[in-house]
Amino acid sequence: MPASPALPERRSTLLHELLRHARSWGHMLHVGSVVLVLALSPGSYTPEFRRRTAQHIYTSTWQVMSWFTALAALLSLVVIRIVVVTALSYGLSQYALQMVVRVLVLELIPLCAALFVALRAGMAFNAGAVGEADKQPSAQRALDLVHLQTHLAPRVLADAFAVLALATLSSVVVLVLAYLTVYGFSPWGLAGFTRTVGQVFDLPVSLGFFLKTLFFSLAVAVVPLAASLEAEPKRASDTIQPGAVRLLLVLFLLEALSLAVKYI
Amino acid sequence: MTSPLTPETTPALRHIERRANWLLMLIAGLVAGFVLYVMVARGVFESTQQLVLISDDSEGVIVGMDLTFSGFPIGRVRRIELAADGMARMVVDVPHKEAHWLRTSSIFTLERGMVGDTRIRAYSGIMSDPPLPPNSERTLLRGDTSAEMPRLIASARALLENLETMTATESPLNASLGQLKTTTERMNGRYGVLSGVMGSDDQAKKIIQTLERANSLLTKAEQRVFDKGGVIDNTQATLISSKTALDQLQSVLSDSRNTLKNVDAVLAEAQAVGTNVRIASADLGVLRAEVEASLRRLSQLTDEINRKWPFARDTEIKLP
Repeated sequence: MPASPALPERRSTLLHELLRHARSWGHMLHVGSVVLVLALSPGSYTPEFRRRTAQHIYTSTWQVMSWFTALAALLSLVVIRIVVVTALSYGLSQYALQMVVRVLVLELIPLCAALFVALRAGMAFNAGAVGEADKQPSAQRALDLVHLQTHLAPRVLADAFAVLALATLSSVVVLVLAYLTVYGFSPWGLAGFTRTVGQVFDLPVSLGFFLKTLFFSLAVAVVPLAASLEAEPKRASDTIQPGAVRLLLVLFLLEALSLAVKYI
Repeated sequence: MTSPLTPETTPALRHIERRANWLLMLIAGLVAGFVLYVMVARGVFESTQQLVLISDDSEGVIVGMDLTFSGFPIGRVRRIELAADGMARMVVDVPHKEAHWLRTSSIFTLERGMVGDTRIRAYSGIMSDPPLPPNSERTLLRGDTSAEMPRLIASARALLENLETMTATESPLNASLGQLKTTTERMNGRYGVLSGVMGSDDQAKKIIQTLERANSLLTKAEQRVFDKGGVIDNTQATLISSKTALDQLQSVLSDSRNTLKNVDAVLAEAQAVGTNVRIASADLGVLRAEVEASLRRLSQLTDEINRKWPFARDTEIKLP
């Protein structure tokens, strides 16, 4: 019977794959925690470390901040206009502002910032920025702490900061645009607008917003790095960048978790 | 790959570092500002007084909901709790600067619409009443649209039944409309509205005849009154003669006035005569008194002579 020897083989393959995934996730968490510890250690902040971090912040945030903000403002303006006009046509204009703040500031802007930075960071890692591709897999598994501290931790910090910076800046721009769309240039709507923002940002929502953006930034900074470190030479030629699927999965899991906690 | 730092790249790196620092400061400022703004928006820095609203049902009320006055938010629900007596207690924070809108006579309503969220409103009818003291407890009046629906449907059904009764074939409304139709048909007839009002053409015809007769009567009366030799002319002649008579009367009266003046003068003279007579009468009295006195003296003198000789005589009377 040809099927009987294939079944154990398939089982062992499945088991092997599961173990590999578990190891991979473990490796990712390990790398993430090590990088976080390195980033939070005061001893890491040498002049060289600061210089490298500043360089990466310049690359990952400064260079893209203006046009990402402009793009986010344009898309937000379209969404704000649609929401406001629709709410007006249904006689629900008093809820338009709340909806704009909830949809854009709380949900879409942090997700867009995270995806954008992930794309750039992943491309950078894929381009060989890690500098580990020429090493043997066994050498990669044993983390080179010096290399992590001097080269990778600044990059991780810069990527995490990029997500926070882009999300914060775009959120502020969206709030200003929402005010201008609803009230125009009149200052008399400021009290009502402030009150609406206050109603949206109660303590659980504010905390959820902060934690979600923080975890987004950590995921975007750590997942591609861990995947690149883990990538084997035979997979280095893959067209898909390492860790992309996992990063998307982590981001959407975080988003789903945030939505579930807030609205269920 | 990161390249080692070289002296040539140092100025550029310094420039990059400066920008990165600016960026860090900008984002830190934005985050701090946003946190501060949200705290202000949540009313963290406002000094508030507490108001407790009590209702038998707090459905739809959520923490953070506004208490509005004339459409303006003046307070925010801070806590909702279930009291020991089973009533819902809604603790509302009212900023001190807005508390003057609430008076002791203010009423509070909880309104639930078919669409949209629940609203808590405050109404202050008499603004001259004393302000609402802190920690006051007030009952929340409920205005629930969905609860009103059954009553509304029952009223609508009764209304429709009434309407059906009114529009039935034998209904008074239908009969009235039929009569109205008859009336309007009559109004469209030969004698117009008059037929409609009088009920038939014959009656209308009588009215018209009466009017014609009244017209001819008026014509005749006009002739009698205003034509030549009519009542008006006679009256005018009478008035003219009366005027002449009045003129004559006026002259007679003036003559009479003169005569009366003469009579007045005569009377004045008579009055003077009367005065003289009165004086003369007074002198006559004195004269009479003097004459009487002279007569009495003469009588005494005569008596004296008689008692004297030769005229003396016995005057004694002897009885038989």
